[in-house]
Amino acid sequence: MRTRKRFLVVMVIMLIILSLALVACGTGEEPVVEEPAAEEPAAEEPAAEEPVVEEPSEPVTIEFFYPVAVDAPIATIIQGYIDEFQVENPHITVEAVFSGGYGDVQTAIMTAIDGGAEPPAMGVMLATALYDLINADAISPVSPSDEYLADVFPAFLDNSRYDGKIWSVPFQRSAVVMYYNADLFAEAGIEPPDSWDSWAAAAQALTVHDGAEVTRWGIEYPSGWPYWLFQPLAIGSGQNIVGESDTEVFFDDPDVIEAVQFYIDLSAEYGAMPAGVQGIWGQAPTDLATGLTAMIVHSTGSLTGLLDQVDFELGVMPIPGQAAGTFASVPGGGNIYIMKGAPEEKQAAAWLFAEFLTEAERVADFSIQTGYIASLNSSYETDAMKAYLAEVPQAADTKNALQYAGAELMVQNLGEVRNIFHDYLQRAYNGEMTPEEAMAAAQTEAEAALEIFK
Amino acid sequence: MERSQTRKSTLPYLLILPTLFFVAIFTIWPTINSFYMSFFRQRLNLARFREPAFVGIENFVNLFSDPRFIQVLKNTIIYVIGTVPLAIFLAFVFAFLVNQRIRGVGLSRLSFFHPSILPMVSAATIWMFFLTPDYGIFNEALHFLGYRGPQNWTANPDLALISIMIVALWKNAGYYMIFYLAGMQNLPTEVFEAATLDGASTWQKLRYITFPLLRGTTLFITTIAIIGAFQTVDQIFVLTQGGPSGASTTLLYYLWQVRFEFQDVGKASAITVVLIVLLLSFTVTNFVLSERGRE
Repeated sequence: MRTRKRFLVVMVIMLIILSLALVACGTGEEPVVEEPAAEEPAAEEPAAEEPVVEEPSEPVTIEFFYPVAVDAPIATIIQGYIDEFQVENPHITVEAVFSGGYGDVQTAIMTAIDGGAEPPAMGVMLATALYDLINADAISPVSPSDEYLADVFPAFLDNSRYDGKIWSVPFQRSAVVMYYNADLFAEAGIEPPDSWDSWAAAAQALTVHDGAEVTRWGIEYPSGWPYWLFQPLAIGSGQNIVGESDTEVFFDDPDVIEAVQFYIDLSAEYGAMPAGVQGIWGQAPTDLATGLTAMIVHSTGSLTGLLDQVDFELGVMPIPGQAAGTFASVPGGGNIYIMKGAPEEKQAAAWLFAEFLTEAERVADFSIQTGYIASLNSSYETDAMKAYLAEVPQAADTKNALQYAGAELMVQNLGEVRNIFHDYLQRAYNGEMTPEEAMAAAQTEAEAALEIFK
Repeated sequence: MERSQTRKSTLPYLLILPTLFFVAIFTIWPTINSFYMSFFRQRLNLARFREPAFVGIENFVNLFSDPRFIQVLKNTIIYVIGTVPLAIFLAFVFAFLVNQRIRGVGLSRLSFFHPSILPMVSAATIWMFFLTPDYGIFNEALHFLGYRGPQNWTANPDLALISIMIVALWKNAGYYMIFYLAGMQNLPTEVFEAATLDGASTWQKLRYITFPLLRGTTLFITTIAIIGAFQTVDQIFVLTQGGPSGASTTLLYYLWQVRFEFQDVGKASAITVVLIVLLLSFTVTNFVLSERGRE
C-alpha cells in the first residue's frame, strides 16, 4: 500500500518535472514587441507571364516562414495568396509556417541551418537582418526585373543591396510617422508643426494640467526599444546614426547629441512629454485615441488600428526636422529572403512565389488589408488602392513620409551594436548620463564591437 | 519498499530508461557541448570566425571583465534572492490560510492559485496593463495608498527589475501554495490533537509541528523555485526587453541575446557554463543547508 503510494508520488513528481522541462523549453520565444519591424506590404512585379510556368515541372513543395507583427489576420491573407498561386502553378505546393515574431523566424531558420537540416526555401525576416544572413551564408541573391526595380520605392530597397547584388525584396514595410489629434490642433488654432521649435511649442500648448498632474500630454514618444523612433530625430538634426559604410556609426556626432537633447527637452524643458524612457509602445495609440495625448510618434503599421479607435480627425505626418520646413522618417519592416540551403528547384519555386506576392495588385491588396505601406509606385495606380485612398486619405500620408526617409540602422554585428546604442540612449533619456557622455561611450563601445568586422 | 530494493530486478532500470534517454539527449549532451564550446571562439555573423577556433579561457576572461556581464550577474542574484524566499513564504502563508475550515475558502484557494495556471506570457501581458503609467490598476492602487513615486515601472532603471520580480511572485506563490496545502492536508491529525490538549497556541503548532513536518515539501519547493527563477525570462521579453539600459537583464535573457542577437556562440557557451555552475551551487547549498537543519 505504502509502496504504491510512493510510486504514485514519484510518478506525479516526474510528471511535474517533465512539464517544467517543457515549459522551460517554451521560454525565450516571445517576439520583441517593439521591433520596428512590423508594417507594410511589399513589392510587385509584372513577372507573372514568364515561361517558367509552362515547363513540364516536377511537383515541388516549399516552406514559407513568416512572422505576424501587426494586428491583422496575416495568416488568412497569406493562405489566400497561396491558394491563388497554386491555381496558376499546380506543381508547386507552398506551406506557410507561422513562426512567431521577426526574431523567431530568423532564429528558427538559423537553428535549422546550424543543425544541418534543410532550411525553408523562403522566409520573411527584418530588412536589416541582411548582413547577419549574408555572413552566415544563409541566403541567395535574387534577380528582380528592371521594371520592378524602377517601380519599387528606393527607401525600401536600401537594406537589400550588398556587394552589387540584391538579396531580398520588400514585403511588409513600414515607416516612422507622427499621428496627431487634428481636432485639438484646430481648437487651439495651431498648425501642424514643421520644425523642432514649432513642434515643441505645439506640444507645450496642447499639454493640459490639473494641479500638479498632467491630464493630457502634448506628445508621447515610446523609447522602450528606442533606436528606430529616435532615428528621425537624428536625421532631422542633420546626421543619421548610420552612413554608407557597413562598419561605421555616428552616435557621438554633435547633431545626434543635439537630437538626444531635444528628446529630453520635450519633457525637461517644455513639460510636454512624460519624463525618462517611455516603455509604452503598445499603449501609445490607445492614449492618442482616448485623448491622453495630443501627438504620438509611432509606426505606420498602427494606422489601421488607430482609425478603428479614434472619434476625431486623425492627422498623419512625417517627423518635423530641426530647421523650418524640414521633415524626417525612417523605414522599417520585413523583406522576403530566399534561403541558400534549400535545393535549387525549391529556390526557383520560392522566387516564383516571391514574384507573385510582389505583383502590384497583390501588394496593393496586402497594404489595404494590413496597413503596411505598399512598396510599389504602381500599386498606388490600382483601382482598389485608389478607392481605398479616397476612403482613408491618411494612407497616402504614410506613403508620402517615405520621401523624407533616411536609412534604417543596419551595420555589421547589428544585434550587439544596436544593444549598445539602446543602453546608452536610455541612460541619457533617464538622466543617468548627459547626452554627450552617453553618446561618446556608445560610440567607443560600438567601434570596439565593429573592429573585427572591418 | 525497502525489501523490494534489495531484490535484483531490471524493471526499475527499464522504467527510468525513457527518462534517462531524454535527459541524456536534451540535458547532458548540450551541457557537455556547452562546456566544450566555451573554450572556442565562434561567431556566426562573421565569415572568418564561423569555424570554431580554440581560445582557452578567453571567453571567460572577457565575460568577467565586462561591466555589462557583472551587472547581469548582479541582476540575476537579486532576482533569485528577491523572489524565491518571498514566494515560498507567501506560499506557506496562503496554504495555512486556505487550509482553515472557514466559509469562502474555495474561492480564496482559486484566487491564490489561478495566476499559476496562466502561461507566463499571458501573466506578463496582464501585468503590462496593470503597470501602465497613470491609469494602470497597480498604479491606481498604489496612488490610493498614498504612493507618489515614479509610475513608469518597466522603463525606470530602479523599478524595472522589481516589476519583473513582482510578476514572478504573483504567478509562482499560488503554485507553490498547492504543494504546501497538499502537505498540510496529509499531516497526521493526532499530533495536532495532542498539542491542542497540551495547550499549544496556533503559532506554537505552526512553528514546532507543521513547519518541521513539512521540511521535505519545503526542500522540494525551494529546489524547483530556484531552478524556476534562473529559468524565467518570458516576462522580460514582454515587459522590459531587458531594459532600460540592461537594468532588468538576467542571465538567461542575456544568454538569449548573445546567442541569437549577437550570434556569438563561444560567449554564449561560456554564459551557459556560468549559469549551470550558479544553478548547481544554489541547489546544492540548498540541499546541504536543509540536510544540516534536519540533524
